Amino acid sequence: MKIRRATIHSYWLMFVATVITVSIVTSSQLITGRIGLLLDRQASELLAADLVVLSTEPLDDRYREAAQDHRLEVSQSLSLRTAIFVDDSPQLVELKAVDESYPLRGRLERARQVTETKSTSEQGPVRGEVWLDSKLAQLLGGNLDLGDRQFVASWLLTYEPDRGGTIFNLAPRVLMNLADLADTGLVVPGSRVQYRMMFAGEQADVTVFKNWLTNNLVPGEEIQDLENARPEMRRALERTRKFFSFAIVLTLVIAMAAIAITARYTSIQEMPKVAMLRAFGVSKRKLLVYYLRQLGLLWFSATLAGGVIGWLSQFPLQWALDGWFGRSLPQIIGIGPFLTAALVGLLALSGFSLPFLLNAMATPPMQVLRTVVDRRSWFRGLMISASAIVAVFLVLMLLMQSSLLAMATLMLILVCALLLPVILGLMVKTLLLSSRRHFWLRQYLLSRLRASSRGAIYVMSGFSLVLIAILLIAVVKDELLGAWQAQLPEDVPNYFMVNIRSDDVVEINEFLKQRQIEASAPYALIRARLAQINGVRVEDIKFDHPRAPHQIIHTFNISYAEALPDQNKIVSGEWINDSGDAQISVESGVAERLGLSLGDELTFSVGSSVMKGPVTSIRSVVWENFKPNFYLMTNAGLVQDLPQTWLLSATIGEQNKADLKQLLKRFPSVTLLDITEMMARVQSLVDKASFALQFFFLFALASAAIVLLAAIQTGRHEREVESSLLRALGARSRQLYRVHILEFTLMGTLIGFFSAAIATLAGWAISVYFFNIEYQFSVMVWVYSVVSASLVLTIAGTLVSRRVYNVSPMKILRS
Amino acid sequence: MAEENFCIILDQVGKTVETPEGKLDILINISFQVRFQEAVVIKGASGSGKTTLLGLMAGLDQPSSGDISLLGKGMATRNEEQRSAIRAGKVGFVFQSFHLLQGATALQNVMLPLELSGSDQAFELAQTSLEKVGLAPKTHTPVEHLSGGEQQRVAIARAYAPRPSILFADEPTGNLDAVTGHQIADLMFDLRDELGTTLVLVTHENELLERGDRQILLESGRLISQ
Repeated sequence: MKIRRATIHSYWLMFVATVITVSIVTSSQLITGRIGLLLDRQASELLAADLVVLSTEPLDDRYREAAQDHRLEVSQSLSLRTAIFVDDSPQLVELKAVDESYPLRGRLERARQVTETKSTSEQGPVRGEVWLDSKLAQLLGGNLDLGDRQFVASWLLTYEPDRGGTIFNLAPRVLMNLADLADTGLVVPGSRVQYRMMFAGEQADVTVFKNWLTNNLVPGEEIQDLENARPEMRRALERTRKFFSFAIVLTLVIAMAAIAITARYTSIQEMPKVAMLRAFGVSKRKLLVYYLRQLGLLWFSATLAGGVIGWLSQFPLQWALDGWFGRSLPQIIGIGPFLTAALVGLLALSGFSLPFLLNAMATPPMQVLRTVVDRRSWFRGLMISASAIVAVFLVLMLLMQSSLLAMATLMLILVCALLLPVILGLMVKTLLLSSRRHFWLRQYLLSRLRASSRGAIYVMSGFSLVLIAILLIAVVKDELLGAWQAQLPEDVPNYFMVNIRSDDVVEINEFLKQRQIEASAPYALIRARLAQINGVRVEDIKFDHPRAPHQIIHTFNISYAEALPDQNKIVSGEWINDSGDAQISVESGVAERLGLSLGDELTFSVGSSVMKGPVTSIRSVVWENFKPNFYLMTNAGLVQDLPQTWLLSATIGEQNKADLKQLLKRFPSVTLLDITEMMARVQSLVDKASFALQFFFLFALASAAIVLLAAIQTGRHEREVESSLLRALGARSRQLYRVHILEFTLMGTLIGFFSAAIATLAGWAISVYFFNIEYQFSVMVWVYSVVSASLVLTIAGTLVSRRVYNVSPMKILRS
Repeated sequence: MAEENFCIILDQVGKTVETPEGKLDILINISFQVRFQEAVVIKGASGSGKTTLLGLMAGLDQPSSGDISLLGKGMATRNEEQRSAIRAGKVGFVFQSFHLLQGATALQNVMLPLELSGSDQAFELAQTSLEKVGLAPKTHTPVEHLSGGEQQRVAIARAYAPRPSILFADEPTGNLDAVTGHQIADLMFDLRDELGTTLVLVTHENELLERGDRQILLESGRLISQ
């Protein structure tokens, strides 16, 4: 299609804006739909069973007996983290020991080599063998030491049904036979082990057994079935969906702003035509049919084009997301995403453009005689706003599927949309107050911006909205990441040693000291379950917070220390003193979820012992600093006689890597966590997320370009007439050139400042209230905003309206 | 009569434009002169070329043939930039649709051509000019808040403020009712008398036609009488 530079047709701009809107929705719906589909498909396999009981303590054998009584098959597994040596470097692995019945649902997949074809298996490894994750492929065929035993690494494990995606698994898997576990000596009292008992059978039997099981569980045990399978995976998926929703909604707002601005431009362009047709006696009804047909055609063609673009754009996103959930994303078969996108396109187009066109239809036929644009009435203005609000709300509802969230987002957009013109208007007015003795050039520029007939303020507001959204997507993201990195202390340890037995603490400390390995003081970990709050059993308490049930089945690691740990802050109460009285310090998140306040009496069960004490302080903790952090801390006197393991962090250089092998040989229960690798993994995930976000950023930029084009086109005719007038009054080309460049630069600077202020405020709010991290004020946000807005507007404005500078003064006589 | 007595001289002026149907002659061999302080009224049917002729006389456009001299300077070979320099401060305009800058006050509209021509007395001259057209109380009123008659007064104040040698007016009362039109005509001719400005008007209004010193009649691009 040929676009004439001077007069880009308003319908063409509106078409492109609608195509972008449909593309964004199609793309986002396809990608989130595919993630959902993956989960649904895996649901039955996720558990490798129909029902599972999980615990960090060995499970009672009566569950097995009862299940068999209910005609169910039973299988057991156990998993823990431990370290093995690969090329003399310690490698953290997720060791899983399974019995002969595993898996009850789904199949294992294995291969002899990475390049070899996979084969399925109904059973796990036989005794004396282990199967390895592909990351450990170099060990295949050799012997592998696990604790006190040696195993033959016989197969590569390529698929395991009840394993979450790689996003949740920081360490590669080693699968072994459960019967071999005892010989390794890896499980000692206090080890972090997860025990799973799995059940499968007829649906009715499973349901009856589940009821029995629910009544017989002890605190700390958790049931998982197909409905609540892999809650951590579901939570992560929800977070991913929210993350995308944030980007999608912001991008959609921009795209819809583009439709609104182009629709307004179209309506202005259509007014003379309507006036003429009305003067010739064409009825409003006929005009309505005419415009509805035009819009229908536009919507239909934009939906087709947007659908294709959206479908194509899922592939780069798929690349970014592949591997997050363990498997490639399945293809979506069906037209659901396309229908949703078409509906959003229709809502946005009709919500924004129809009222503007109805407004154009209300153009009095007298306008053919008078060139003065009829000012729209308050009522029509109100109708346009109401229709736009309803359209935005419906679109948000459709995409967010939560009226509360949709309402909150709508309110935010409304506040911005209402405040923007007012504040920008005030900024211009304030600048106008100075010097009345000179008009040319500054006052002239400001009067142009203030001219309501050109709607400059509204166009500026639209562009501001776009810039704010872009700043939030592009810059604030970097700010958040930067802030997170800034919280990492310089001396981040690269290893954590956990599962240290009390008897080994002194020896390990000595071992590290001899080899001049820098290590933190050891922290004791007492594994305890919360049993009562203020004397009431936690099972009998109705908690308000949705995550409270998860919290109470969680086994806490309680520690003790004399001094408040680094980067912990007392929010209320006082840090533990040496009075010897029972004192408990609670992390603020846990306190919030469980509704705890100072003075509440907490009772914990630690094995067969009971420990109790009052909450004497609430702390905020920086979890991202990779230092030992604890939800609960207490005074030593209260817990030091209870069963405990120890933890310490160490900075181990290349020269000491060989010592680690020796350490693990001497202390097989110790688990090493490589923090550097974890951080690299987190960084890689953030990078992938950023890529996905930047992909939507491309849509945002395309929408912004449309907004810009429409904004410049909207005022082009007035600019030409005005330039012609100035020429007639004696203005030179360079004066006109200067005035246009300065106008766009001034507009860009105002928009840039304003958008940076709003983005900073929003960034601060998001950091503090959503991510719980301290916001780092950045001058760069302001620099980016002001420079980019003024540059983009100046360059685009100059290019698009360069004909304006050379307009003939004769135009003024003919206009 | 010597050439220096004329502020505008048209010699065999023609204007041809390209249309999809081919070349179209808008003006054909027009020759006449306008004396200083004269009031010349151009009349003719629609499409007779009145506005084109006014534009050529004012140097807003170039003729396709012939020559035009404005204030002693030949316009036919000068580009728009050079013609603009000749117009600045010496030529004023009043348009049918006023063509005031929306968003600016009456004073700012009048100051504009003064400042464009580099005057450092723009503020004072504009105030005086607005007083002359009876708009002193509305000096700081944005023009979009003024009535049609008041807007045309601002346009007249703007045209006369730089004390131009020639004022060109295109249907200056065309958008106004009879009473207001009459007042505007009075104002234009009174100021012309007071300041000694040459007046070139395009109009259909009988009152303005009668008040001119001379009428030029155009028909299908040809000069019929003067």
